[in-house]
Amino acid sequence: MRPIPKFEYHAPVTLAGALELLNELDKVKPIIGGTDLMVSMREAVCSPSHVVDLNRIPELNYIKEEEGFIKIGATTTHAQAATDPLTVGIPALHDAVSRIGSPQIRNRGTITGNIVNASPAADTACPLIVHDAEIMVQSVDGTNMLPIEELFAGPKINCLEPGELVTEIRIPKPSADSMSAYKRIGRRKAFTLSVVSAAVYIQAEDNLCIDAGVAFGSVAMTPLRVPEAEDMLRGKELTPENIREASEAVKDHVNPITDVRGTAEYRRDMCPVLMRRALQTALERMR
Amino acid sequence: MSKVKVRFELNGKKIETEITAYTSLSDMLRDYLGVKSVKKGCEHGECGACTVLVDGLPMTSCIVLAPQVEGKHVTTVEGLEYNPLMIDLRQAFIENGAVQCGFCTPGMLISSYALLRDNPHPTSEEVKIGIEGNICRCTGFTKIIEAILDAAERIAPE
Repeated sequence: MRPIPKFEYHAPVTLAGALELLNELDKVKPIIGGTDLMVSMREAVCSPSHVVDLNRIPELNYIKEEEGFIKIGATTTHAQAATDPLTVGIPALHDAVSRIGSPQIRNRGTITGNIVNASPAADTACPLIVHDAEIMVQSVDGTNMLPIEELFAGPKINCLEPGELVTEIRIPKPSADSMSAYKRIGRRKAFTLSVVSAAVYIQAEDNLCIDAGVAFGSVAMTPLRVPEAEDMLRGKELTPENIREASEAVKDHVNPITDVRGTAEYRRDMCPVLMRRALQTALERMR
Repeated sequence: MSKVKVRFELNGKKIETEITAYTSLSDMLRDYLGVKSVKKGCEHGECGACTVLVDGLPMTSCIVLAPQVEGKHVTTVEGLEYNPLMIDLRQAFIENGAVQCGFCTPGMLISSYALLRDNPHPTSEEVKIGIEGNICRCTGFTKIIEAILDAAERIAPE
């Protein structure tokens, strides 16, 4: 029996109401699925005085296409994203949301919660980074758009100020000549945290790479984009040799640690392997 | 701390109760409403023993706050006692020896029920993904997977 610390519960029905509560209350935490927060509270890692439930705000639950972006509302679950045609069209993200956690977690957990918790192992982070996603941050003072990478300030530390809420994720609608994929290695296949993971995005004409995105999970303090690897792919033919060369170079730019899930050496060695596998899958999907 | 009012439907029955908000759905179901099929294992959303359906979707009730089911339909194995799919599934579990200590069984049945309801002809790989959020500590997974595949045959033979 692990009791949940005591708190006052608030369930606003509008976004404006939620932002006001987050602004006014002290020691306040927003909750959506609670798949991370409930565990932190039971472990007494986090003991808020107030919890603001965002689930009763209908205007935050959506996946839609608008102004050339796929827009995902804050309370959208992994399971919703795994079955929506718009998010199926963002292959790396679809790879992540369809296998993150377990069915129970996918029905409860949200993409926004996953990134706001800012774990370096967050499965949806790298797919969103390589797709150049932006996040909408709102507070009573107004609205800001940020590149998703700026959200990650450190391990489990996000850049949000008190009173700020991530309300939307925006992903540029992928062009027809682009493709992406997400690969991960866990201690086992089912329901597990990634030991190391990689997302790749490529835009190519015939086999010539026009643009590339490469990011890794669990290899640094935050989910990590590796621009050096992207530069090595851009403007090159996507031949096995060029892919191998760019993948091997990644080892010099990651900085993993050893923990209960894996050693730093293993993680570093697996980066090129996962990047090659992800590129191979993306290329196969293009055909 | 003040209590909050929660109104929801439990196994088709309207419930209206007042409860402290820092109560999990699993605690509310077991300790306040007497639904003992909901088992408390890890209380971290990892073992799946407390799995229930919320508006038809399997969720681990230990990481859902009681007031979060306001206006929703919560279903446990008790509510599926006479459901044709659950009857076949239960029988398949019995005949395939898919129950050892039984602690994981209610949660396992709820996950299997949702799986077969949405995908009547799963492959064994799809069955494994369907129950990846449920741990059987007796490690009887092989028989559980066989039972689910057997139930699929009974329900909708190909």
